[in-house]
Amino acid sequence: MGAFFRPRPTAEISEGERRVSPLLQFVEDRLQIAALLFMASVYVIRVLWLFHFRAVRERAAAEGRASAGAGYSLSNIARPWAMESTRTRPLFYLQFVVFHLGVTAAIAATFIIPYAPQWLAPRGRVITFQALMAAAFVVAVFRLVRRLRRPVLQLVSTPDDYAAITLMMAYFILGILAVPNRPDRGEGPMIAFFILTAFFLVVVPFSKISHYLYYPFTRIILGRTLGRRGVLPVRRPRSRQTAEERGEEVGA
Amino acid sequence: MKTVKAAKSLSVENLPLDVATQDKARADALPSIQKDMLRTYDPAADNVRRFLDLLAERITRPVAASLAACVHCGLCVESCHYALTHPDDPTMTPVYKADQIRKIFKRRIDWTGRIFPWWVKAGTPRGDEDLNRLKNIVFGTCSACRRCTLNCPMGVDTAILIRFTRGLLTELGIVPEGVFNVSRDEWETGNQMAVTPLDFLETLQWMRDDLRADPKLAGLDIPVDLPGCDFMYTINPREIKFDPRSIAQAAKIFHLAGEKWTLPSAGWDQTNFGLFSGDDRLGGALARNLYEAAIRLRAGRIVISECGHGYRSTRWEGYNWAQYDQDLPSESVVRTLQRYLREKRIRVDKTKNDLPVTFHDSCNVARSGGMTEEPRDVLRRVCADFREMTPNRTENYCCTGGGGLLSMAEYRPLRMEAAAIKARQLEATGAKLVCTICHNCVDGLNDVIKHYKLDMRVVQVLELVENALVY
Ligand code: SF4
Ligand code: SF4
Repeated sequence: MGAFFRPRPTAEISEGERRVSPLLQFVEDRLQIAALLFMASVYVIRVLWLFHFRAVRERAAAEGRASAGAGYSLSNIARPWAMESTRTRPLFYLQFVVFHLGVTAAIAATFIIPYAPQWLAPRGRVITFQALMAAAFVVAVFRLVRRLRRPVLQLVSTPDDYAAITLMMAYFILGILAVPNRPDRGEGPMIAFFILTAFFLVVVPFSKISHYLYYPFTRIILGRTLGRRGVLPVRRPRSRQTAEERGEEVGA
Repeated sequence: MKTVKAAKSLSVENLPLDVATQDKARADALPSIQKDMLRTYDPAADNVRRFLDLLAERITRPVAASLAACVHCGLCVESCHYALTHPDDPTMTPVYKADQIRKIFKRRIDWTGRIFPWWVKAGTPRGDEDLNRLKNIVFGTCSACRRCTLNCPMGVDTAILIRFTRGLLTELGIVPEGVFNVSRDEWETGNQMAVTPLDFLETLQWMRDDLRADPKLAGLDIPVDLPGCDFMYTINPREIKFDPRSIAQAAKIFHLAGEKWTLPSAGWDQTNFGLFSGDDRLGGALARNLYEAAIRLRAGRIVISECGHGYRSTRWEGYNWAQYDQDLPSESVVRTLQRYLREKRIRVDKTKNDLPVTFHDSCNVARSGGMTEEPRDVLRRVCADFREMTPNRTENYCCTGGGGLLSMAEYRPLRMEAAAIKARQLEATGAKLVCTICHNCVDGLNDVIKHYKLDMRVVQVLELVENALVY
C-alpha cells in the first residue's frame, strides 16, 4: 500500500518546495484516497438504492426514439437556448458555467498537487486555476445572497443548501491559497484545503452536492420517456416534419 | 414572459375537506364503494400512517429520482403560471409545491432526512389537517402542465410528483369533492359524465339525422359496434352531453373521406380521470375498456377525438396503467384529418375560414404527447390567417383548466387569477379565434375569455376543417 500511496514526485521541483511535513503528506494522499474510496462506496450504494425503486416499463408503442430523447435531455445543460429558463437568463447560465469551472479546477487541484505537482509549475497555470476559483467564489457569493434574499428560496432552502454554498466558498478560498503548491511558505492553507476536500468526499453523498450523481438519472429517465413520445428532442418551429414525414411507423 | 400580477392573491391551503358526496355515496352503497374501487375518507383511520405506507409502497424510480434531485435553485419558478401571476407568494412556485411531498419522502425514505431531519427540513404530516393542506396544494395550485419540468436544469419532473401525491390522497379519500364525483361516475358508468347508453345512442341518432337532412349526405351513418372497421372512434363524454356538434363534424368528414369507421357502444370514453386523480387503478380500468373494445370490434386502429388528457391517457399512459402492451395503432383525429388532407381524400377551401386563428397547444398533447406540428399543418391548410401565439408548442402556457381543475370549483378564483398570463398571451395574438385540440382547454379558455373579457371565440380543428369543406 505504501508504494501505491506514493506522495509527490520530486524530480521537477526544488529542494525548498519538496520539504513536506508528514501531516501534509498524509492529508493530501492517504486521507484523500481513504475519503475517495468511502465516497465511491457510498455512491455505489446510493445508485443501488435508486435502482431498488421500481422502474416504469413503457407499454405504448414509441413514436420517437428513447435514446434520442435521453441524449438530448442529458446534453441540455450545454444548450442554454434549449430551455426558456436558461435562454431568458443568460447571466444565470454564465454563473452556472463559471461556478462549475471553479469546482472542476478545485477538484483537479486535489489530484495535481500530490500526484503531478510539476504540471502546476508554470505560473500561468497557477494563475488560471486561481482565477477560475476566484470567479467561482464571486458567483457563490451572488448565489448565497440570492438564496438569502429571494422569498421563494428562503422558504425552501434548508441548512444543507446554505452549508453547501458556504463550504464551497471556503473551498474556493483555500484552493486559491493551495494551488501555488508552496508548502515552504506555510502548510496551513494546504492542509486545510485537503482536509476540507476529504470532508467533502465523506459528506457529499449525504448532502445536496450529490446532485451531480442524480443528474444523469433524472435526465435520462425524463429524456427516455419524452423521447419515446417525440416530445424530446424539441421540434423547433422551423422544423415542421411530422413522425409520418420522417418515415416512422405511427402506432404499433 | 414578464410577470403579470394578479389583482389579489387567494390562498387555498386551508380550504376544508368536503365529504358530503362521499357520505352520500356510502349511504347509497354504490357498487364501486362496495367493491372497494372508489375510496372514501375515514376520519377514524390512521390516515397519516396509511399515507406513509402507500408512499413507500408506490414510489417508482422516476418519482424517487425527481424527489432526490432538486437543488432548490429556483429556476423553475418563472415557468409556472401560478408563480408568474403571484410573484409575492412563494407558495405558488413549483419548487414549493413539490417540496411538500419531498420533505415527507426525505423524512421517511431518504437517508439524510431520516437521521438529521432538520438538516434537510424533512417532516411528516402530523394529522389529517396536514393531509388536507397537502390536498389543497397538489390539487388546487397546480394544473400538472409540466411546464416547470421542461424548464428544470436537473430534469426534476414536478408534474409527476404532483400526480403521485394526488394518487396517495385519492386512496384516502382526501380529495376535492369534484374529483370524487368524477371518479365515482367513471367507476360506476364507465364514463366521466355518467352518460347512459340510451343518451349515447340517441345523441348519435340525432346527429346522424341532422346530417342526413343535407341531400349530399343522405347515405351518411354514425355506426356503432360495426366490426372490422378501419378505425374505432373514441370520444369525450362532453361531446355527447354538451356539444355533439363535434361528433357530427367528425362523422361528416369521415363520410366524405370514404372512411369505414365505428364507435363502440362500450369503451367509447377516451377521457380518463385517473390521469388527474393519480389513480392508476381507475386509469387502467378505463383504458383497458377502450383497448378491449377495439379488439372486440376488430378495428384497425383507435382514433382519439380532440381531447388533450384523453389523448395522453389513451395514446400513452393508459397502456402502462392497464399493464397492457399496445396491440393496435392509436392516433389523434388530428392526424387522421392531416392524412385526409394530404391524400386529398377531402377537399377544402381555406378562404371559408377567413378570421385570424391562433393555436393553443394543450399541455398534455404538446409537453406529454409530442404532437405539435400536425395541428399546425392542418390549420395552415384550412385557415386563411393562421398566426402563432408566443410562447407556443412545448413552451405554451396552460389554459389553466388542466389537471382536472375544471371539476374543482373551490379553486376557481385562484385559477382565474393565474389565468392573467394566458389572457395576455391570447390578447397579444390579435386573433378572433383560438383553436385547440382539447375539450378541456375549450372550457378552460372559455373561462379565461369570459373572465378577462377578450374578443375571441374558441374553436377546434374539426370545426375549422368541416367549415372549410368543399363537397
Ligand atoms: S425543481 Fe429543478 S428548477 Fe426547480 S428548484 Fe428544483 S432543481 Fe431547481
Ligand atoms: S406543473 Fe405547471 S402548474 Fe404545476 S407547478 Fe409546474 S408549471 Fe406550475
